[in-house]
Amino acid sequence: MNRIEVLRYIASLRNGDPMIISPGLANYTIAEERDEPLTIYNMDIPYATPMALGMALGWPERRIISVEGDGSLLAGPGVLTTVARYQPQNLAIFVFDNGAYLTTGSGKAPTTTAFGTDIEQLGRAAGMKNTKTVHTFDSAKTAVKRAFTEPGPWLIVAKVDKQDRPSQRTRYPLPMYVYEAGIKFHRAASQEKTAKR
Amino acid sequence: MARRAESKTSHSTVVNTGQAGVRYRQEALESFYDGFKAAGIDFAVFLPDSMLDGIEQLIIERGGIDTYQCSREDEGVAMAMGAFLVGKRPVALMEGSGIGLSALILARGIVQKTPTMLIVGHNSTLGERYDYHGATRLVAEPVLRALNIPYHVLFDPSEIRTVIVEAQETIEGQRIPVGVLVPSHVIRKFGDDQ
Repeated sequence: MNRIEVLRYIASLRNGDPMIISPGLANYTIAEERDEPLTIYNMDIPYATPMALGMALGWPERRIISVEGDGSLLAGPGVLTTVARYQPQNLAIFVFDNGAYLTTGSGKAPTTTAFGTDIEQLGRAAGMKNTKTVHTFDSAKTAVKRAFTEPGPWLIVAKVDKQDRPSQRTRYPLPMYVYEAGIKFHRAASQEKTAKR
Repeated sequence: MARRAESKTSHSTVVNTGQAGVRYRQEALESFYDGFKAAGIDFAVFLPDSMLDGIEQLIIERGGIDTYQCSREDEGVAMAMGAFLVGKRPVALMEGSGIGLSALILARGIVQKTPTMLIVGHNSTLGERYDYHGATRLVAEPVLRALNIPYHVLFDPSEIRTVIVEAQETIEGQRIPVGVLVPSHVIRKFGDDQ
């Protein structure tokens, strides 16, 4: 299964949902497919899911999306215990597990999932109940759609191949700088909240 | 939409006497809560520590501020920043070691204009009598200084409310994190165990 096809499907269902993306190729696919105002690109490792958790707790009316890699999630797996503790139904965590630190250097350095670490089971052990590991695009679509339509928190682990690495050479420019991301996000969220009052 | 499994849990902790027999200055605890309310703080995240436990338990008991525990302080700072992004006014409470763990996410918050208030115990001020707080007390202020994060070291409980309100004004006006450091004598009755 290729990461890009799953990301495109996520982007097609997103419909403005706030999203935080950890560093890597996923940023460029999301930006290319559907950039939304409520997006934080290239969040420093390992803070995509912790920041998304804060959003989910602070804005329960909105579905919050965290996009992780296996390397980024494994840098801070303790957050899964906090997710399980508070069980925010509006949080979905998508982890793209290719078994390697693919975007770094040669891309050949493996993560521990290449040696047996099971990210879904980390979530289960932390106390998360809505978890799924998917190996095919069809099963990924089913799991992703449930994460967008059913109460969570969700932990979806997509086992993907490494075939999208060459796309680094033709990466789509991101639509905003980190320097402006907080201002734009905060303003968009505030305007949406004000409009609904 | 969201159900919060623990956020509304009722705690019956006696706020002025911790499990270790620590006696807090009740007026200081009240000043922190009053300051948070006056500053509009509505989201708190903390990792329990012996210095700030009295504040944390008082916040939970009094209510009016959504309060959460994290598993690491840097995770908590990121949670607070996420809450800020969706319109909350957050505070993260931790001991000084947590600032050491949080250097990267604080830097990200500065670059990204996503601040939070920081309340920090066990820091480089006087009154740390135990060797095992040595590394903890060493790390907080150097990290704040290195990142040019403004901070204030409290000295007298009478200044707590004002400092918290002004810290929040700086956070919102300058879009930077602000630290409030809490020496032992400000929050505990003098001479008590740590």
